[in-house]
Amino acid sequence: MRIDKELDNMLKKVEKPARYIGGEVNSIKKDPEKVSVRMGFAFPDTYEIGMSYMGLQILYNILNKNDDIYCERVFAPAMDMEELMRECGRELFTLETFTPVKELDILGFTLQYELSYTNVLNMLQLGNIPLKSCDRGEEHPVIIAGGPCAYNPEPLADFIDVFLIGDGEELLEQVCIAKKDTSSKEEFLKKISAYNGVYVPSFYDVEYNEDGTVKAYNKVWDGAPDRVKRAVISDLDKAEFPVNNIVPFIDTVHDRSVVETFRGCTRGCRFCQAGMIYRPVRERKKETVRRLAEEQIKNTGHDELSLLSLSTSDHSCFEPMALDLMKMCKEQNVALSLPSLRLDSFSFKVLDEIQGYRKSGLTFAPEAGSQRLRDIINKNITEEDIYGAVEQAIGLGWETIKLYFMAGLPGETYEDLDGIGKIAKNIIDINFRVRGRKGGRFRVTASVSNFVPKAHTPFQWAAQDTPEQFIDKHNYLTKQLHIKGVTFNYHETKTSVLEAVFARGDRRVGKALEKAHQLGCKFDGWTEHYNDELWQQVFAETNTDIAFYNYRERSYDEILPWDIIDPLVTREFLMRENEKAKAAQTTADCRQGCAGCGINKHTECFKGAELPEVKHG
Amino acid sequence: MAKYILTFSKTGTICYTSHLDMMKMFKRVFKRAGIKQSYSQGFNPHPKMTFAQPLSLGYWGLGELLEFETEEDYGADNIKNILAPLMPEGIVITDCKEAEPSKKTLAAKTEAAEYIIAVPLHEKIDMTSSDIYDKYMGQEKILTYKKQKKKKELAEVDIKPMIRDLSFVVEEETLFVTAYLDSGSTSNLSPELVITTLIECLGLDTERSEVQVMRRKMVFAE
Ligand code: SF4
Repeated sequence: MRIDKELDNMLKKVEKPARYIGGEVNSIKKDPEKVSVRMGFAFPDTYEIGMSYMGLQILYNILNKNDDIYCERVFAPAMDMEELMRECGRELFTLETFTPVKELDILGFTLQYELSYTNVLNMLQLGNIPLKSCDRGEEHPVIIAGGPCAYNPEPLADFIDVFLIGDGEELLEQVCIAKKDTSSKEEFLKKISAYNGVYVPSFYDVEYNEDGTVKAYNKVWDGAPDRVKRAVISDLDKAEFPVNNIVPFIDTVHDRSVVETFRGCTRGCRFCQAGMIYRPVRERKKETVRRLAEEQIKNTGHDELSLLSLSTSDHSCFEPMALDLMKMCKEQNVALSLPSLRLDSFSFKVLDEIQGYRKSGLTFAPEAGSQRLRDIINKNITEEDIYGAVEQAIGLGWETIKLYFMAGLPGETYEDLDGIGKIAKNIIDINFRVRGRKGGRFRVTASVSNFVPKAHTPFQWAAQDTPEQFIDKHNYLTKQLHIKGVTFNYHETKTSVLEAVFARGDRRVGKALEKAHQLGCKFDGWTEHYNDELWQQVFAETNTDIAFYNYRERSYDEILPWDIIDPLVTREFLMRENEKAKAAQTTADCRQGCAGCGINKHTECFKGAELPEVKHG
Repeated sequence: MAKYILTFSKTGTICYTSHLDMMKMFKRVFKRAGIKQSYSQGFNPHPKMTFAQPLSLGYWGLGELLEFETEEDYGADNIKNILAPLMPEGIVITDCKEAEPSKKTLAAKTEAAEYIIAVPLHEKIDMTSSDIYDKYMGQEKILTYKKQKKKKELAEVDIKPMIRDLSFVVEEETLFVTAYLDSGSTSNLSPELVITTLIECLGLDTERSEVQVMRRKMVFAE
């Protein structure tokens, strides 16, 4: 690819210019003149982060297989590049053909975390595209957005024309094709709003009660659905999955072959949004996984393979699949990495073999420090499980144990926090017992994140802790975890507050986003770029009441801003789970019996899995 | 076991990848091609392959050389044919030949390199090519600061003895410099130092980012 002098000069001045050049192995070159629809897949963060995200590779592959669509990539330029772009008046461009995004038919953002929202606005501005849907005309691309955060689309409702909710494999291509078949934006939006998973915010007007809660969603156009059902792929085994992944030139967060083994999770942790919105479990057959892995490795030259799912060992054929992949990887000199394993004796055997001498840390996520609180959140792991596994791990030579907890969970007391210290201490003691008084170079890392209530979970009604409460808890934990051999990390409080506002915000918080963007907030998820002073100013000037969004418990009668989205898991199920949480009652993994979440009314549970039949109630 | 030398060019936007990025890219290309590279022994084995000289980020290269070893004898032409279609845009393999048996690596044999440097001129300069030569090379010493190998501190050096040959052509708004410079383990001169001293000597207002550099070829000791 040849580029103009101005861009060439810019690339000579910036850090890591290869972020902006495209042209990687397996990236797609098409003649833009020969397609009907040009789509930009935008990841609102840097190249290194965006290229590590598998969803991009999945959708890029599907769209580009269609001869009538050209999907190109767009990332947020780093600060130095942005500065030069603004100086020269260079508009945001695609990596494949250096086309200004303004000239595309569709620009689609993936929303992976709330703290990237200001980058979405910034990228629109860098593309010289009006931020608000109402200020854009036929000459501008249609702006769409999808990904897990689209399950509460409202904070971005003023800026995005269309949200795509749920599995994108079929939906995104359909939407692109509909663009070709329609002649105006309005006709297009009306046509696609008949598809499951399509939410057009401008088709609804939101009415509010005096207390600030939502009174009603009034349709502006009668044809709009009452609630938008999420899109579901019923058969994952047959769903498209890429084997020609783009191979970045520069180092990215993850640069390896990846195969998704299954989607969904049956464990039902009550804080976990992924566990709710990706239901039901749908598996890829182990033979399919192997074939995809082999082809990917062959086409990319990667020397690492990783499996993707919410909980690797929960695949119904995990053991034979793992053994088979291990053998294949060994033959091909490829390192196998198996994230989020349940640590039983089989996993240890596997880990011991694949990690060899270079054992990375072992990870446990008890999430809460006491059995009572773990029952509240339905995290099905006991301390005995952990200690048993730790003892084995130490025996096999592991020297680092990483523990993940959350602070601020509903129903949490300081006794539960004591439990975190206790677990860390007990693990240190186990090490002394197994390896003698010196204990070696053994280390325990306890990381505590702040609970952020998420839409479409049983805890969607819960209050979040205030910053003061979080800080007190962090200070308390710092004392509790002042143990030799233990490292304690906790998550920044301020960004957890911000995340929570946008995780459960309504349309009105869009004003705050716009203000934040005007003041220059971007890359809010990056500690070095997050600017708390500016955000305080934003909330003050836009009269955004954080307490209203974060610190109050909502009643079941309240209409929640994200109720317009139907995740296909029923509200009754979420309420039931929330009530059980209050009584510290657990719900078993639904492999052992259906828990009645309601998704089976729409699609088959456990499709592709080799499991004994699960009875639905 | 066999040892080969691959000649390739690197032009266009791909010049913004680094030398390490290129290493990784080649390693993966070999893997995709099913060509088994020989690996070093030890705790952290890596494929036996080296560039004759790393090419700086941003430079184009017309005759870049990669020396590598394979487990089997694949045949030089065959390797070229298999690899060529697998290369990313901007990398063109022009030749592959068997390396002559020698204890010295290609890197150790590299002595000098020829660069073409394009310096855009914002204003017309009233000098002929030979005027420019006389002005620049007429200096008794060409002093500049250079990072020391070991100490990493800047020290003043005279780069003139490391310039083997230099010629200039002024064409429309660009000054083309052909620079033949020491480029080996005993004496090494980066074209960057020639660029800065030249711009300074001629009093140009050209910025570094406007200058294009291409390495045309490398020269080896016998
Ligand atoms: S319908 Fe039943 S079996 Fe299916 S995901 Fe929901 S709880 Fe599990």
